[in-house]
Amino acid sequence: MNEFVETLLEMQWHEPKSSYDVVIIGGGGHGLATAYYLATKHGITNVAVIEANYIGSGNSGRNTTIIRANYGIPESVRFYQRSLELYAGLEDETGCWIMHATKGLLWMAHTETGMRAERARALINTACGAETHVVGPQEIKQICPQIDLTGSGRYPVLGASYHVGAATARHDRVVWAYAQGAMQRGVTVLQHTKVTGLLREGERVVGVETDRGPISAGVVMSAVGGNVTKIAAHAHVRLPVRTHALQAFVTNAYGLDFPGIISDSELSCYVSQTPRGQMLIGAEFEPQPSYSMQSTFNSLASCAKKISSCLPFLRELRVLRQWTGICDVSADFSPIMGFTGVDGFVISTGWGTWGFKGIPAGGQQMAELIATGTTPDLIAPFALDRFERDHSMADLGSAGTR
Amino acid sequence: MLALDTLHGIRVVASPSALDAASWPDNTTVLRLAPDDVFVIGATIEHAAVIATADADAIIVAESGFVGCWLHNDALAEVATHIEWHIPTHRPAFAQGYVAGVPAKLWLTDDRALLLCASPYAHDLSERLKGSA
Amino acid sequence: MSDTPTSAPAGRIVVDGLPIPYETGDTVAVAIMRSGGHPKHGGTVCLGGDCPNCSAIVDGVPYVRTCQTAATPGLMVRRHPAVGNPSFPAVAQPDITRTPVTDHVSVSRASADIVVIGSGPSGVAAATSASADGHSVMVLDAHDGNEVVAIYGGPTVIVRRPEGMLHVHALRVVVATGAAEIHPVCPGNNLRGIVTARAAEQLHAAGINLGNAVSIGNAPVGVPCTPITGIIVRFEGSGSVSAVVTVGDDDVEVTTPCTTAIVGLGLAPRDMLSRMSGGLPVGLVGQAAEKFALPPCPTAGTVCPCSRVEVEDLEGVWARGFHELELVKRASLCGTGTCQGGVCGPHLRAFVAHHSGAEPEMFTARPATRQITLAEASADTYTDVFRRSPLHDEHLALGGQLDRFGGWWRPWNYGNHEVEYWAVREAVSLGDVSTLGKLVVSGPDAVELLERLYPTTVADIKPGRSRYVLLLNERGHLIDDGMICRETDSRFVLTFTSGGAANAEMWVRDWAETWGLQVHILDRTMSLAAINVTGPLAATLLQRVGLVDPPKFLQHRHDTVAGVPCHVMRLSFTGEASFELHHAADRSVELWRALMEAGRDLGIKPHGLQALFGLRLEKGHVIVGMDSELDSTPRRLDMDWAVKMDKPDFLGKTALVRTASLPDHRRLFGFTMEGRAPTEGSPIWSDGNVVGHVASSFTSPLLGHAVMLGWLKHTPFPERVQIDGREASVAQPPFYDPKGRRARA
Repeated sequence: MNEFVETLLEMQWHEPKSSYDVVIIGGGGHGLATAYYLATKHGITNVAVIEANYIGSGNSGRNTTIIRANYGIPESVRFYQRSLELYAGLEDETGCWIMHATKGLLWMAHTETGMRAERARALINTACGAETHVVGPQEIKQICPQIDLTGSGRYPVLGASYHVGAATARHDRVVWAYAQGAMQRGVTVLQHTKVTGLLREGERVVGVETDRGPISAGVVMSAVGGNVTKIAAHAHVRLPVRTHALQAFVTNAYGLDFPGIISDSELSCYVSQTPRGQMLIGAEFEPQPSYSMQSTFNSLASCAKKISSCLPFLRELRVLRQWTGICDVSADFSPIMGFTGVDGFVISTGWGTWGFKGIPAGGQQMAELIATGTTPDLIAPFALDRFERDHSMADLGSAGTR
Repeated sequence: MLALDTLHGIRVVASPSALDAASWPDNTTVLRLAPDDVFVIGATIEHAAVIATADADAIIVAESGFVGCWLHNDALAEVATHIEWHIPTHRPAFAQGYVAGVPAKLWLTDDRALLLCASPYAHDLSERLKGSA
Repeated sequence: MSDTPTSAPAGRIVVDGLPIPYETGDTVAVAIMRSGGHPKHGGTVCLGGDCPNCSAIVDGVPYVRTCQTAATPGLMVRRHPAVGNPSFPAVAQPDITRTPVTDHVSVSRASADIVVIGSGPSGVAAATSASADGHSVMVLDAHDGNEVVAIYGGPTVIVRRPEGMLHVHALRVVVATGAAEIHPVCPGNNLRGIVTARAAEQLHAAGINLGNAVSIGNAPVGVPCTPITGIIVRFEGSGSVSAVVTVGDDDVEVTTPCTTAIVGLGLAPRDMLSRMSGGLPVGLVGQAAEKFALPPCPTAGTVCPCSRVEVEDLEGVWARGFHELELVKRASLCGTGTCQGGVCGPHLRAFVAHHSGAEPEMFTARPATRQITLAEASADTYTDVFRRSPLHDEHLALGGQLDRFGGWWRPWNYGNHEVEYWAVREAVSLGDVSTLGKLVVSGPDAVELLERLYPTTVADIKPGRSRYVLLLNERGHLIDDGMICRETDSRFVLTFTSGGAANAEMWVRDWAETWGLQVHILDRTMSLAAINVTGPLAATLLQRVGLVDPPKFLQHRHDTVAGVPCHVMRLSFTGEASFELHHAADRSVELWRALMEAGRDLGIKPHGLQALFGLRLEKGHVIVGMDSELDSTPRRLDMDWAVKMDKPDFLGKTALVRTASLPDHRRLFGFTMEGRAPTEGSPIWSDGNVVGHVASSFTSPLLGHAVMLGWLKHTPFPERVQIDGREASVAQPPFYDPKGRRARA
């Protein structure tokens, strides 16, 4: 047996009913976390989570498992810092092993303008509760001895911001921890059930149409990744979202000698080592919008080249597996959470490439919104109507790493 | 190291029909960068007088922003190892794309080829093609 | 297993520090087995490249399948640790003295109409028929040194060869990779001495004596061995197999002693390459396309040797509610290791079929089927190109510290930015602005195009005059800025920022085409260099080098400066009189040197970006992308003066009309503060709350205090704020020469 075989949790699947208080479309991290917090914090258990494939089969099972809060605007820093803190307590709270490990994240810079961005990031993050320092080359070398400070002669490392609280956790297990917790309390999770439309009474959404029949609901929440614009269109909600592919790859497993998380804005890539010892490497999303999940050689080649510029030892590592997810990127690179203007239909989307780190706070806040009927302060800045109100939350600087 | 030298000529942006109809002196190299855009190495502005007549708004300027070098077969074969795209087999042929990751162009004739790029890229291109001299 | 050498070996490899002889044609795995060893520590060996049981550290690279690696003189092989992962190469292996083999990897490229992968009977048949149809055909087989790694879009076939990588561009790919042998899953299957039937044939052909060999299932051809009937219950032995226990129809266990157990348990299609090629023109033929029966549901033993998953682990996660192939895989990690399900796939499917009652499809295959290093993946791949201005070497000679900015190398300073600052404010200075975007637009619809693109009026700009302009997107957000210079009624030169030039060019071309307007567009960004001559003595300097009557503020004209034809544009970003000299890139060094020489007694110095950023900040000039954000409207930047809302239409107008009626809740303000400038990005505080941040800051040598541009994002906007623990106040820029007399002087 390897040490990572799941031996703690247990899934309790329930038979579907024809009606629920809340129906959540999308059995990924955000959907299941919302169901979990509805059940645990608000006593709302007559809830169904509907998943087109198996739970965690979308981006929740395809991301690079990085948890961080070092965003570019105060509203985002506060939100992700809440998420980071909830993650840190999730194992105790659920009794599950999500392989959470606080590692720290170095975000490296190679130019004066790059350093300017990292200095700014450190200041605004620390001011908003996410401890981040500027560190010089020597400190970087102490934190991560494998770094070539000359950047293979082309990308000399001038410094970095060091986000102390950044962590990683096993993506599947986060999904399962929330699924188990929700199902234990009576939430129904329906796998392999496709939502084909929304049930409506007038403008109000009153349930979902599925390939296994209609299901009525007091509130319908979309926690869909990748195809959210199509679901929202059933409610006549237009979303400022474009879908882009994001690729990543892992190497074979090696001894656990790589500390922390290394990220790089100029080179647009990042790496960490999984608990199994694999090096998990990702890049920025593809510039061209697409729903394709076909991996490309160009992405592998260029990402491999970039990441080994500052970590030359990676050149000798063998690529195990490359994969692709599709990301809903909003017009301002920030998530969209909350009411949609259509009664009975709420939404959590626009997670782009940073959805995994937002799962606990996103679920917690959406559950509160559904339970109380009012938008919690923490996510009020991320409401859909911000675009109409000209209150967009532009945060491109934080999209450089995932 | 590839010695990339400045290529002197003219750049003409004009209606495709005006460019199609133009004729150029024998000792020039005519690179059609786009349907409406031609770089004529070895030509001077006077050579484009016909185009100026055919298209009054044509942009006709002296061009010295490209560098290049002529490659014979062996050197071209070496450069070709840094090209992921299909190199045309007919001659003469003009092709544009990344060479060793640098935006570049190739003018292929029967016995040799001109490799060229915008001058700001010259350093990185020749550096990356070190073995191709 | 051992043999008696009959002649001198072909060479020696080094395995775990000991030299081991090999024969001509041996792979590393065969050489190790010839010497009586096991390339790993145990487990069934297939020698077909399908399993992880022969992978080792070869020349410092872990996870190399030694059955696919030819033995060559002096090859350094180390076995993976029996427990745990191999260390990182180089980090934990200081004994490696040889240069890593992957240090430089060459790439060759080829193209063919049809690429056939596998040269077995079905591959040969496919190749023959494709050739007969007149197609160009390329056959790739691992045995010929062409290890196919993956198929990507195109289709592009990525191949690893001993001499480097091969990228083959095909119209169609035929996968004829045959079938892999099923590994035994039962107790004792991690022992040494278990080989598949094909492996036994290979070892026998290599002249290796398999000792007391027994075979279960399909017997190998021509290999001396004792066939035994029945189903394998377990292998027995300590380290190496000493007996195989089988059971027949009579349910009686029979123990057969042996030193080699040969297993012929059937086949599974080797179809991973086709399963990773969804949507691509990739066909599957021969055994790779066959549907073989699944093995029986495993009941004990190691299912997944890569991730060390036992049958009881699968049963454990099934009992916990993981009720489908993907979930079982993710909860146990079965199939997520080096061979990507090559060994465990059929057994895992059999397990799920047995428990769920339905035979599941194999999980999605992902690149790569055969593993390559990052060096091999990125061979002949390059990171960004950094552009160099023609003055690059001049800057270096003058002590310039070059930094990358907007894709260009640019001088950050020449040692002391304050010295450069004073040269601009008090004398004359040169700045290299070759990196600015420069677009020529010409045609009967040129005015119409620019009127629609820009929020300013264009038609009233006279030839010879220029105007500062914002470039907005449809949302009314600032995407770039620059100058419009009108040359004739129908011809303009547009300038853009260095970092924004490439996007701006696409933007202008896209809209011209979208609107169907008759214009010609030529991008001269990289063809023309530009030098900014700035400072109170700028005009004096230019007069010295032949520009007798320098243009007035916001005028431009073509003239000759120091013998070099220039497009001279008078403007000002530094706050002093400034002349941009746009000229042919190949004349730039000549012009720069002439100006530096002529200005020597005037105190001329070049200035870098660091000084420039401070100079312009004293004037309150915004830098797009530094001070502006993704969603900055002109109102937020306090630049409504650059927008003519009474124009009939321009890009972004609809959005600006709408947002103008909404409350203004964020704005870029000027600030001043005693003392030195705070770090750019510093939070701006008011009543203990973060209310914004500093976008740009500069300790003004002339004013003796800090000047800043910063965002306030909470209304009502406070007048007094705290930055860096100090009191700061909102102040209306420009902080220097508010009437702009110096720029016009």
